[in-house]
Amino acid sequence: MRPLDALAKVCGDVRPGDPADGVLGVEPAVVAAPRNVAEAADVMRVAAENGLAVVPRGAETRLDWGAPPERCDLLVDTHRLDGLIEHAAGDLVATVQAGLPMERFGEMLAGRGQRLALDVPLPGSTVGGTIAAGVAGPLRSLYGTPRNLVIGLTIVRADGQIARSGGKVVKNVAGYDLGRLFCGSFGTLGLIVEATFRLHPVPSSTVHVARSVNGPQDAHDTVQRILHSAVAPSAVEYISPGTVAVLLEGVPDGVAARARKTAELLGEGAEITDTAPDGWGQYPDGTTLLDVTAPPPALRDLLTILGPDTAATWSGSGHGHVALPADTSPGEVAEIVTRLRNTLSGHRGGAVVRYAPQKVRDEIDLWGPVPALTLMRRVKDQFDPRHRLSPGRFTGGI
Amino acid sequence: MSDQDDLPKLLGDCVHCGFCLPTCPTYVLWGEEMDSPRGRIHLMQQHADGTSLSGPMVEHFDRCLGCMACVTSCPSGVQYDRLIEMTRAEVEREHPRSMKERAIRGLVFQLFPYRRRLRALRGPLRAYQKSGLDKLIRRSGVLERVSPSIAAMERLAPPLGKAPRLPERVAARGERRATVGMLTGCVQAEFFPGVNAATARVLAMEGCDVVIPPDQGCCGALSLHSGREDEARAFARRTVETFECVDVIVVNSAGCGSAMKEYRALLADDPAWSGRADALSAKTRDLAEFLVELGPRAERRPVPVTVAYHDACHLAHAQGVRTQPRTLLAGIPELTVREIAEPDVCCGSAGTYNLFQPEAAAELGDRKALNVAATEAELLVAANPGCSMQIATALRHHGAAIAVAHTAQVLDASLRGLGRDTLIPHTPRATT
Amino acid sequence: MDARLAALADRLRGLLGAEQVITDPVRLRTYECDGLTSHRSTPAIVVLPDTAEQVAAIVRECAAAGVPYVARGSGTGLSGGALPHADGVLVVTSRMRRILEIDIPGQRAVVEPGVINLDVTRAVRPYGYYFAPDPSSQQICSVGGNVAENSGGAHCLKYGFTAHHVLACEIVTPDGELVELTADGPGYDLLGVFVGAEGTLGITTKITVRLTRVPETVQTLLAAFDSIEAGGGAVSAIIAAGVVPAAIEMMDALSIEAAEAAVRCEYPPGAGAVLIVELDGPEPEVAAQFAEVERLCRDAGAFEIRVAADDAERALIWKGRKSAFAAVGRISPAYIVQDGVIPRTALPRVLARIDALSAESGVRVANVFHAGDGNLHPLVLFDDAVPGAEQRAEEVSGAILDLCIEHGGSITGEHGVGVDKSRYMPRMFTDADLDTMQMVRCGFDPAGLCNPGKVFPTPRLCGEVPGVRRGAHPFEGKADLF
Repeated sequence: MRPLDALAKVCGDVRPGDPADGVLGVEPAVVAAPRNVAEAADVMRVAAENGLAVVPRGAETRLDWGAPPERCDLLVDTHRLDGLIEHAAGDLVATVQAGLPMERFGEMLAGRGQRLALDVPLPGSTVGGTIAAGVAGPLRSLYGTPRNLVIGLTIVRADGQIARSGGKVVKNVAGYDLGRLFCGSFGTLGLIVEATFRLHPVPSSTVHVARSVNGPQDAHDTVQRILHSAVAPSAVEYISPGTVAVLLEGVPDGVAARARKTAELLGEGAEITDTAPDGWGQYPDGTTLLDVTAPPPALRDLLTILGPDTAATWSGSGHGHVALPADTSPGEVAEIVTRLRNTLSGHRGGAVVRYAPQKVRDEIDLWGPVPALTLMRRVKDQFDPRHRLSPGRFTGGI
Repeated sequence: MSDQDDLPKLLGDCVHCGFCLPTCPTYVLWGEEMDSPRGRIHLMQQHADGTSLSGPMVEHFDRCLGCMACVTSCPSGVQYDRLIEMTRAEVEREHPRSMKERAIRGLVFQLFPYRRRLRALRGPLRAYQKSGLDKLIRRSGVLERVSPSIAAMERLAPPLGKAPRLPERVAARGERRATVGMLTGCVQAEFFPGVNAATARVLAMEGCDVVIPPDQGCCGALSLHSGREDEARAFARRTVETFECVDVIVVNSAGCGSAMKEYRALLADDPAWSGRADALSAKTRDLAEFLVELGPRAERRPVPVTVAYHDACHLAHAQGVRTQPRTLLAGIPELTVREIAEPDVCCGSAGTYNLFQPEAAAELGDRKALNVAATEAELLVAANPGCSMQIATALRHHGAAIAVAHTAQVLDASLRGLGRDTLIPHTPRATT
Repeated sequence: MDARLAALADRLRGLLGAEQVITDPVRLRTYECDGLTSHRSTPAIVVLPDTAEQVAAIVRECAAAGVPYVARGSGTGLSGGALPHADGVLVVTSRMRRILEIDIPGQRAVVEPGVINLDVTRAVRPYGYYFAPDPSSQQICSVGGNVAENSGGAHCLKYGFTAHHVLACEIVTPDGELVELTADGPGYDLLGVFVGAEGTLGITTKITVRLTRVPETVQTLLAAFDSIEAGGGAVSAIIAAGVVPAAIEMMDALSIEAAEAAVRCEYPPGAGAVLIVELDGPEPEVAAQFAEVERLCRDAGAFEIRVAADDAERALIWKGRKSAFAAVGRISPAYIVQDGVIPRTALPRVLARIDALSAESGVRVANVFHAGDGNLHPLVLFDDAVPGAEQRAEEVSGAILDLCIEHGGSITGEHGVGVDKSRYMPRMFTDADLDTMQMVRCGFDPAGLCNPGKVFPTPRLCGEVPGVRRGAHPFEGKADLF
C-alpha cells in the first residue's frame, strides 16, 4: 500500500503536499491533519511503518526557523487538534491540544480572569509551536519560558506510542520532566499533541514606565537600577533604538506607587503609560533574526557591538533578539555573529541564528558552539533512532 | 531507670534528618558522616546492636567536642549530650587505650582538676614565659614531635600575671539584694585570676554578699565530659557539700556551670545524693543569667570599645544562655557589640579537646579566629576560660592579636568607671 | 569485598588519597541510608572527592570496572534517592562546598554541589538577594541534592522549584566527562530534564543558580478555623481572588497538637485547622492584598486571626509549622511522612477520604500541607513496638497515594520517587510513559551504572529498539512514496 493510502486509512484529512506546504523549500509528499490524539498516534505509527520523515507544523509562524529538513515525506499539521480539554480555574491549570492558537487560548482563559503568562510575539502561533520553539516574550523575566509553565505534556513518539509526563498539578516531581526536554526541541524528538499549563491570574492593573536612554552605558546602568530595586517588575526591556521600559502588574494602588518609584529610578524623562511602548514584545524587523543569550552585565557589550542602528530587543532575564536588514551581506552577518559569540561567551551567553536568507545560511553556523552535543545526539538516537523526525532541522544536524 | 535502660529510647529519638550536621564542628571541618552527630549516633546504634568498640568507632567518639550545638539544632529533641557522655563512659570502661594516650590523659586528669597542682605549675611557667625560652621552643617544634598534646598545652597557656587570693566573703555595696556563693573554678582561678576578682566585685557592686568557700575543689566538668564518671561523681559530691550553705551559686565558667546543672542526672542513681544534687543543679546560675534575673542597679559608665561576643558552647548550647550576656554588654554606654559569623560552631577548645585532639582543635581555632578577625572588634569577650585561651592563641598564630576579656571584666570596668584602658593593653600600633 | 571492588578501592585511593576513600565496615555503615531510614544498604566504598575532576575520575573508574555508583549530598532526602548500592561506590559531595562566584549584577551565583542551600542565601543576603528554593531542610540540604530532587519548599507556590532557579549545571556524565548543561543555550534543554532526575543521569559538580531579590516587605498571618473544610474554603477563596501568596500552609488538629507538644507554638486553642498565609513583594501591593486575605479568611469562618508584627512574631507563627514533622515524634513512637499532590480544589474531598481511611483502619493520620499547591504531607502514625502496626500504616500511606492519583494528582510533590515510590510509578504512568522517560536515561547512561534502581520500577534495556513494531520492518533511506 502506498503511504498516502495507508495514512488515509487512519486519518480523515490526508492529501498530497504542494509547494505552499514547503518547509524552507522542502516540499512534503503528504500532509496529514489528525483531528485527535489517537489519530495523531496512528499517523505517526503509519509513518514509522513506512519509514517516512515527519515534520510537524502548527501555524507556520516559525517553520522558517532553524535549518531546512533533510527530507520531508509527511507534514503533520496540528490545526485540527485545537481543543481546550480542561480549564480547572480553581486550580489555575488548563489542558489544551497542541494546535490551539495562543490568542484563542488566551481568550478562553480571560473569561475566568486568568492567563497563560507567555507573550505571543508572532500572532497566530499555536500552543504546540510555542512549546516546540521554546519561545517567550517580555514576561519571561518574571514567569519564565514554556519550560517553567508546562506542567504536563503528551507526545506521540516516533514509533506512534503516546507518552505522557508530568501531570495536571503544579507541584509534581514524579518521573523525568519530558515537558522541559521537549521545550525548544523543534519537532525532532516527537509530536507534541497536548499540554497542561500552570496559569496565573490576570492582574487588575498594568502600567508601563519607559525612558529613552543614551547609549550602551546608560542602558546598562538604567537596567541595573531597576533590577536591584524593590519595584518587582514583571518585565524589564530594552528596545532599540534606545528605550528602557518596565512593566508593572498588580493591584491599582500598588501599581501606581510602584510606577512613581520606577519613574524615579529610570530618571528624568521617564513616562508612565497604560499602553506598551512601540516594539514591546515584538521581534525586531529584519530578514535575519538572531536569538542572543546575554545576562544583564552583558547588555553594554551587546549594544556596543550592535551600534545604534541595529534593531534589537532585550529582556532583563538575559535574553534578546537582534534583526539584520536585507541589505546586510552574508559576510557582514557572519562577522556580527562571530563578534557576538566571542563577546557573549565571556558572559556565559551566546547567539543563535533563527532565520536568515539562504545566501546567509550558506555562510554561517546557525547554532554556534553546543557544549553537550554528544549527549543531545544520544538522546535523539533514543527517541528517533532512524532520524525521521524533522531530520537536520536542529543543532548539530540533529 | 539506669542509663543503659534508656539507651534504646535515646537512640531511637534520632530520625536521621541531618539538621545537626551544619552545626557540628567536626562535620564542618571534614564533611564526613562518621564525624557528625547523626553519624556518631549511628555508630552508637551499631555498638548497641552488638558491634564491638573498634578503633575507628572510638576515634569518631573521641573527635566529638561535646559542644552540644547539635542538641540545640535537633528538632526531635535527641539528648545527644546524655548519649555521648554514656558512650564516653563506655569507652573508658571497655576500650584499651594506647600507652601514649594513657600517659597524656593521665597527665591532664591529674593536673587540671587540682588547683594546688596547677598553682605549683604557675611559678615555673611564669619563669619559662619570662625567659623567652617559650618562643625558642615553639620555633624548634620539639614539643610537636614529642607530643602534639603537650605542644598544645604549652601554646595555649596564657601569659600569667599575679594571682591574688580572694577573700572568703565580699560584702555587698549598698543595700544587699542577695547572698550568693561563687565557684572559682580550677583553670579560671589559676590562669585567669582577674576574672574571679572582677566577678566578685561586680556581684558586690550589684548588691550581693558573695560567699567564696576557700575549700572548694574542682566541679568535675572535665571528668564528666570525658567519660570519667566515677571521678566526676566524686568531684560533684564534694561540690554539693561545699555549696549547701548558699541559696544561689554563681558560676563564671561556662563548662563548670553546665556540669553543675547536670549533677541531677549524674547522681540520679545514688539515693543518698540524688536529692542534694538536684537542689544544687536548681540553684546554679551562670553569672550573666544571674545578673539579668537580678536586674541592673549599679550605674553603668562608658566603655568606648568594640567587642566581639563569643558564645561558649557550654553556655549557649548546654545552658541556653545567649541573650543575657549580650543584654549586659549592650547596657554599657558607648560599647558596641559585633556578632561573629558561624556563632554556633565551636572554637575547638571544648574542655580537654584542644589537648587530646590538637590538630582538629587548631583547625577550628583558625576558623573561629578568621571569623573573629572579620568583625574588626578590638576586644573578644567570652564567658569561658578555655575559649579565651583557644581563640587568643589562634589569633596570635594569625598575627592578629586581640585583647580578650570575660563578660565580668567588661562589666567591672564599666561599673568602676575604668573606661577601656584596663581591657585593651597599650600596644603600639604597627605604623607600616 | 570481592577482588574487583578491592582493586577499584585501591585505584580510588590513588586518585584521592587514602583519607578520602572509606572501606572500613563500621564507617561505611554510617552511610547506609539518607533521610529515609526504612531503606538501608551499606555501600562497598565511600569516596569524598574535593573537586569536579576527581568526581569525573571516579566515574571513569567505576565505568571501566562496571561498578554502579550513587551520588549523595547531605543525606537528607526522604525517598531514598541516595540509598547506596551494596556493590557500588557512594560519591559524597559534602566536601565540595565552595561558593565559587557571586555575580550580583548578573543576579546569579556559582556553587559547588555540597554547598548548603541556606549558605547560598547567607552569602548573598548582604546584597539584598536570596536563593529562592526553601525546602524544610534548607539549613542542611545541599544544592546538588536540590538539583537532583528539583526541590521546592513552602514558598515555591509563588517562586517555583529548583528547576526555575538553576541556570546551568556542570555535570559528570556517566562516561566520566565534564559537560555544561544550560537552560537557554542552543540545543535540547538537557538541564531541564537533568534537574529532578534524582541523580540517575549524572553527578552535578557545579551549579549556577539564579538569585532572587529580597522582597520589600513580608506579611504573615495565622488564621484558626473550626475545621479543615473551613480552612480549605479560605484557600480556595484566596486563590479565586487572584492573589498569589508566597506561601499558604495548613495544619490539622492532630499536627497542631504535636507542634504544641514540641515547641509550644501557642496556636489558638480549639482550632480544627490553622492556615498560615504569607504575602511578599512591594509594600503597597502587599498591604492591599493582605487586607483582602484577612477578609477572605474571616468570611470563610476564621475565629481568630493573628498578624505577625515583626520577624520574631513571624518566626513564632512558622515555628509550629516548621517543626511539625519532627514534632509528631512527640505524639507517636513512629510515623511515615507521606508526600502526595492533588488539585487544590479536591482538598476537601480528599481530606474527608483520608479521615475515613484513618477511621476504618484505626491508624491515626496527622495532616500538614502546602495548601496553596495541593501538596499533602500526611503523617501516618504507628507504634513500631506493636506487631503489624507498621504494615497497617504502610497500607494507609499507600492508599493515600492512590487517592492522590484518583483525583488527578501525583505520588510526589517534592520528596521524589527514589527507591521508596518506584513501585507506585506504574499507577501514575503507563508502560509507554515510563519507557519514554527511560529513553532519556538510556541516552545518558546506557550501562545503567548511575544510581540504578531508583525512580523506575523496572529498568529499560537500552540496547533494544524502542516501542512496539507491527508490519514490515521500516527501512532506512528514502521512502517508497508513490
